[in-house]
Amino acid sequence: MAASTDIYSEHGNLEKPLVWSLCLHAGFAGFVILIAIVAGNYRGSGWGGGGGGDAMGAVLVSTVPLPANPVQTQNVLANESKGLSKSQPKVEEQQPEAIPIPDKTAKVKPKPVTSATKRKPEPEPEDTNQVPYGEGGPVSGPYGMFTAGGAKGGFGFTGGGGDFGNRYAWYVKVVQQKVSENWLKYEVDPRISDANRVYLTFDITREGRPSNVQIEQSSGIPSLDISAMRAIQRIDTFGPLPSDYSGNKVSVEFWFDYKR
Amino acid sequence: MSNLARLIPRHTVRGQFRSHRKGITSRHDKTSQLCRHSFVLAIFGLVFFAAVSSSAQDWIRTGTGLGVEKVRLAASDFKPSTQDPKNAELLKMFNETLWNDLDNAGIFELVSKSFYPEQVPGQPTELTASQWGSPPPNASMLAFGNLGVSSDKVQVQGWLYDVKSTSNSPQVLGKQYTDSATTDAARTIAHKFADEIIFRLGGGIPGIAESKIFFVSTRSGQKEIWEMDYDGANQHPITHLGTISLSPRVAPDSSRLAFSSATKAGWEILMYSFDLNRQVSFPRFGGMNLSPSWSPDGSKLAWSSSRNGYPNIFVADASGGNLKRLTTGQGPDVSPTWNRKTGAQIAFVSGRTGLPQIYTMEIDGTNVQRLTDQGYAVSPNWSPNGQFLTFSWMRKYGPGEPGSNDLYLMDIASKQWVQLTHDAGRNDFPCWSPDGRHIVFQSHRSGSDQIYSMLADGTNVKQLTFNGNNTQPNWSWK
Repeated sequence: MAASTDIYSEHGNLEKPLVWSLCLHAGFAGFVILIAIVAGNYRGSGWGGGGGGDAMGAVLVSTVPLPANPVQTQNVLANESKGLSKSQPKVEEQQPEAIPIPDKTAKVKPKPVTSATKRKPEPEPEDTNQVPYGEGGPVSGPYGMFTAGGAKGGFGFTGGGGDFGNRYAWYVKVVQQKVSENWLKYEVDPRISDANRVYLTFDITREGRPSNVQIEQSSGIPSLDISAMRAIQRIDTFGPLPSDYSGNKVSVEFWFDYKR
Repeated sequence: MSNLARLIPRHTVRGQFRSHRKGITSRHDKTSQLCRHSFVLAIFGLVFFAAVSSSAQDWIRTGTGLGVEKVRLAASDFKPSTQDPKNAELLKMFNETLWNDLDNAGIFELVSKSFYPEQVPGQPTELTASQWGSPPPNASMLAFGNLGVSSDKVQVQGWLYDVKSTSNSPQVLGKQYTDSATTDAARTIAHKFADEIIFRLGGGIPGIAESKIFFVSTRSGQKEIWEMDYDGANQHPITHLGTISLSPRVAPDSSRLAFSSATKAGWEILMYSFDLNRQVSFPRFGGMNLSPSWSPDGSKLAWSSSRNGYPNIFVADASGGNLKRLTTGQGPDVSPTWNRKTGAQIAFVSGRTGLPQIYTMEIDGTNVQRLTDQGYAVSPNWSPNGQFLTFSWMRKYGPGEPGSNDLYLMDIASKQWVQLTHDAGRNDFPCWSPDGRHIVFQSHRSGSDQIYSMLADGTNVKQLTFNGNNTQPNWSWK
């Protein structure tokens, strides 16, 4: 009898371990789910971090500016330079100041009229030039070591003799090539990553020498302005103007976009 | 380039790493993250190792005018304008030379002749611009013309047309040449016409098709000075001294040639006149006199002389008078080269700190600055625009460091450099072409020392000499 009671009492004792077992299993399952959630949230952060050390491939490739798509810049170029060239005549509100001071007769009126007619022709050649040569947008420095992706420049031939850009497209291309070759981007402050556009104007004499280099609109960053100025000043000659061109000089507006 | 390229990514990687670390400390389960990290590192390391071992020879080639397209130029074969039987021979020479000159210029993308229309023009009246300006040729420019022999005279008419132009004046260039009816004359005319095209479309820089290269050759048994055209044609000896002559340097006006030669009195600077076609007198200075260099105005000569005991840089008038010492000390200071744009600086090689390095100084010997920081750097040559130095450099030099001897280009203002030759034997004695777009140099890549030319970005390498050993090329100034 004593043996049978022993057996019963042992049988009754199994309940407690069973409960423990269940609890532990449930707890372990919960722990696994918790880990999965925590780790799931954190997934991916281990990649692309310090793991590769100085792994270089991806970053180096980005420093080589493969020929950019001219189509993209075309729109930007046309839009932005149009806006600027049109806004400038409007900004000149100094003449209204000049009107009240003389305060005499109606002679004052013709002056704004003539200036308005003078300024209108200026934007027009720009437009005609920029449509065919808008593709001249993307340029970059002379050597791979100086280039940082994204930087570009462009220009429009203004004044001089009307449709210079149309007639002598090859000369325009020469100018673009020469300026872009001589723009050394390492001259720009290395802390600058993005900048407003710099507009330069200069004349090309009959012999092909650049002269009268001026900043038309500053980027606000002196080192960028100076590097753009130097790009032009570094050039001895673009080659003589086309022999059948009648004018004595051509005026060029060149813009530089800087992006590191 | 590579040093700069290496700098930039390192910064960015470090930045990412820092932000990543912050992320880790804010998490609870550090141990599992560590495991994950080490696993990622291991995989990354494996991938990295595999990449490195499989592509040890990778480098990035970048060059001038990146992002700026070259002019697409078509050059149709010139047509005969007379019935003379000599036409065919001259036309073959003319067309080949013109094509090679334009191809070598480095500023054109020449349209393959297989794209050309069946009827090529010989006169402007025969030209249909739309055929050339649209695909398949899709050219921007077309060079064409005719050649004819009559009574031992050859006459060539050549034109360059802007075939994409929509205006009524598509002609960029029209030229006419007359000379005696020989193949040499045909080649010269082709050079002249090519130079005109390159001058027009290359931004006012004269072409180099008529320039010469002087070099040292062992072809006749001894090391003598030889001359050839820029494309390797027409090679002929200048000196017949029967000793050893080295480092030929032609004067900026191509009237004289200075070189160093082993005379009975030792190594002296000798002078050869192209006006008189003979050697002319030049003072003897005693000691070892080596590697002369002309100032850009042709009025002065700098060289290395050990007349005071140690090799130092000396400068004198082109006549040899008015001698001045520029460097002092034990040196040795050798291989001076003038700033070809300003004439106000001299670059030279000095071993004052051990292995030879490149230095620059003003022409009065002041403001000495060291440009290279390691290895074994020799043979500097200043670019025509004054902006670059090209030189031969073993960046790793010494036991257990099998450094290659390659050519480099350094921007003097920023001291940034690019490697121009890769995995191609020993390369030495680079020299700029007058247009600043080409470099001629000596290389051992074929098993013997020969002369090669390339574009200044290291592409388009062409072998110019094939017989004997040919070394120390020097490109004329125009």
